[in-house]
Amino acid sequence: MTPRSRDELLGAADAVLAHATGDGAEAVAVASEVELTRYAASIIHQNVAESGLRLRARVLADSRVGVAEVRGEAAGSAARVAAAAEDARRISAREDVAPLPAPDGGDDTPVAFSEATAAASPEARADMVGAVTRLAAAQGLRAYGFVSTQTTGTALVNTRGLRRAATSTQASMIALVRGENGSGYAARHSPDVESIDVEGLATEAVDTCMRNQNAHPVEPGLYEVVLSPYAVADLLGHLSWVGFSALAKQEHRSFMRLGEQLMSDTVTIADDCRDPQLFPYPFDDEGVSTRVVNLVERGVCASFVYDTPTALRDGVESTGHSLPQPNTWGPFPRHMHMAAGDRTVDELVGAVKRGLYVTRFWYVRDVHPLRTIITGMTRDGTFLIENGKLGAPVNDLRFTQSIVDALNDVHGVSRDRLLELEEGESGVLSPWLHLGHFAFTS
Amino acid sequence: MIVRTVQHLVVKNGVVATVSLTEDEGIGVRVIAGGAWGFAGTDRLDPQGVEDAARRAVRIARASARVNTQPVRLAPLAGASGEYRTPVVRDPFAVSLDDKVDVLMRADTAMAGVSGVTVRESSLEFVREERFFASSEGSRLAQTIIESGGGLDVMATSDDEVQTRSFPNSFGRHQLCAGWEAIESFDLPGNAERLGNEAVALLTADLCPAGVMTVILDGTQAALQVHESCGHPTELDRVLGSEAAFAGMSFLTPDLLGSFRYGSETVTMTADATRETGLGTFGWDDEGVPAQRTVLVDQGLFTGYMSSRETAAVLGQESNGTMRGDGWSRLPIIRMTNVNLEPGTSSLEEMIATTEHGVYLETNRSWSIDDVRLNFQFGTQNAWEIVDGKKTRLVRNALYSGRTPEFWRSCDAVAGPSEWRMWGVVNCGKGQPTQLMHVGHGAAPCRFREVRVEPAG
Repeated sequence: MTPRSRDELLGAADAVLAHATGDGAEAVAVASEVELTRYAASIIHQNVAESGLRLRARVLADSRVGVAEVRGEAAGSAARVAAAAEDARRISAREDVAPLPAPDGGDDTPVAFSEATAAASPEARADMVGAVTRLAAAQGLRAYGFVSTQTTGTALVNTRGLRRAATSTQASMIALVRGENGSGYAARHSPDVESIDVEGLATEAVDTCMRNQNAHPVEPGLYEVVLSPYAVADLLGHLSWVGFSALAKQEHRSFMRLGEQLMSDTVTIADDCRDPQLFPYPFDDEGVSTRVVNLVERGVCASFVYDTPTALRDGVESTGHSLPQPNTWGPFPRHMHMAAGDRTVDELVGAVKRGLYVTRFWYVRDVHPLRTIITGMTRDGTFLIENGKLGAPVNDLRFTQSIVDALNDVHGVSRDRLLELEEGESGVLSPWLHLGHFAFTS
Repeated sequence: MIVRTVQHLVVKNGVVATVSLTEDEGIGVRVIAGGAWGFAGTDRLDPQGVEDAARRAVRIARASARVNTQPVRLAPLAGASGEYRTPVVRDPFAVSLDDKVDVLMRADTAMAGVSGVTVRESSLEFVREERFFASSEGSRLAQTIIESGGGLDVMATSDDEVQTRSFPNSFGRHQLCAGWEAIESFDLPGNAERLGNEAVALLTADLCPAGVMTVILDGTQAALQVHESCGHPTELDRVLGSEAAFAGMSFLTPDLLGSFRYGSETVTMTADATRETGLGTFGWDDEGVPAQRTVLVDQGLFTGYMSSRETAAVLGQESNGTMRGDGWSRLPIIRMTNVNLEPGTSSLEEMIATTEHGVYLETNRSWSIDDVRLNFQFGTQNAWEIVDGKKTRLVRNALYSGRTPEFWRSCDAVAGPSEWRMWGVVNCGKGQPTQLMHVGHGAAPCRFREVRVEPAG
């Protein structure tokens, strides 16, 4: 399927704006093509595609705001969504409505886009799956996972003259390889489906699976750990939910204390929408240009991300991290990375006398957001490290651990990094980490 | 084909933060071609758009067949025709927006009157889905599903503590297949001040005691426990590996069916799509299989799965009708309907009175379980220490943990029908692309012996 052109997207948004009444209005058109081929036990069991257009209107007048969204291409959608937003606005209570942003001069680049991803066929995705299943079968293993390609075109216009549009692509492949008594995992994500290293992915998952057979129990307790980027992404992703938003600060529920060093000085975390490895995208859901924000610098809490409402409250400018307005969640960093270190993964493992190597976490949930305590399980490859050597697989363990506390005891950071998508599907680029302690509880 | 309308209202800290209306219509086409599945969804409902979607689904199916070695087999199903409509007393879409905002503003005002409350949020949501199903096997089915939901969240903060209380349930709201009468029955304004007081009291409450002790769960937490530790592991697609790369598999493997002691004799669980007001109540599932009741756990014995036509065929069974898709763009997969802990004969009062030392836990705060649904840890917003048959003090940050069969085998009491309620979970994630399903859980307060309890932080 062919993504809509920039002019078509802007035209769809303009059509909504033309029907909007009131002091100000914002219109958004989002056209998406999503295709996903899912496999289990080395067969393709689910293979889907969807295409659609979503129109959204936000109208402001008389200190009231209303929002409506229509999905579908039926005739009259533009007028209907504008009218529904006005209906909602009329009954809203008067409040301090944040103004629509004015154009900020930002251009609509860079954007993660690949023609190959936009044109990817179901046959090509099936062939990628076939490459993984063949490599697994050669070792007597079965493969599970998915390969997806998606193209999303967005246009956002408002009555202050703001006009933004961008079309992005994303390709992902996941492989979980299972044997009789254990499994291994690998993931790759890129704007360009052709740059996904299918063989490397399959080799990593098969290798982890073969080493992770017939695991033995170990006693819960405090362990030194080496976390793979899949696991580190979970830690960073949860920090973003509980602490990096200006709204979390304003509601007194963020762990961040600006200017204070809470983590090791090897920890630097930023949100960088221009990083070519992190699905670059130039503006947020209000149309404000997204800035690079240093969240934690050498262990010191540095700054928060802002949208227009939270920026107004603090008397600063938005950093361009808004979700669709109005909302009660606040701004959110969607392009996080942790700075690389200077070690190889072998050097990180080599520095551990007795500890655990964790491939991946699972079902991670907040237990005490203010103290950044989370719980979850290990999964798909947890190994004992003894005297600097990666050893036998161990049974999966539950952990309950403060993220900030763990990141305040960093013994080493790898120079290589890997991109993983967090549960909210935002990208997190993470290194391997050697942490001095991590609490496993059962 | 599905036409879905969602109205969502949020009042936060005294202002109407969101009034939104979402309309969504489209069609999904699922085909078997070359012995493999293909699915395409589109919002282009003109004849050409629908034909394009069908052709795309066939092409995708044939692409699947490039890898597959075994053709799809389905359990038999006779074609059917009919209509179903959620029974409602008052259509929520006929209630004025002014009346809806009034309910939320009255609740907000009541919470605002509590000193120490820092963030207040109240919300309502109404859903209307028109679902039309046709199959090449002769089915023609029309359904109208109506949902009404609402809830309160109130937060209190101090320098080193954040405490939240929610009503009637956590996760933003409680929701039912029902009309406006459901919102009136929740009485959000009438519970708002109490909720605020509880959040503030939690800031200075003692930490939950640690140890192995008796645990009594309120109905909402019991519902979530059922969801995670019985609902998901009895989904037959998980058991057979369809979700292995994402949600995981299940400890309830087919060789255990009919012989495995899942819980004590007090524990009977059902998947029942016919139970009134449940979010998993409908006329037919998305394969056209009629709604039905299946016993998953019968007096402690593991007896059944939730199935589809394809997975039931693997076990030589017929589908029991649990295939549900999250809208027209999502492939139907096995989802919980209403997975219920059937009522017992006890009462919350009796359970507390006959507990020497333990905790009574209310309203979920955190939840995590492993990928085969054995090792779990849950936390609750409220906890009351019980000593010598009496609730003695409010305690905070309670966590309890265990392994599923050992936990349910330690269940020695479930409250009776008068305390049994249908609860709604509106954020059940499964599948890739992710599908969020609304599912129901009938549950009542229940008691468990010798459970590990500890404070968080």
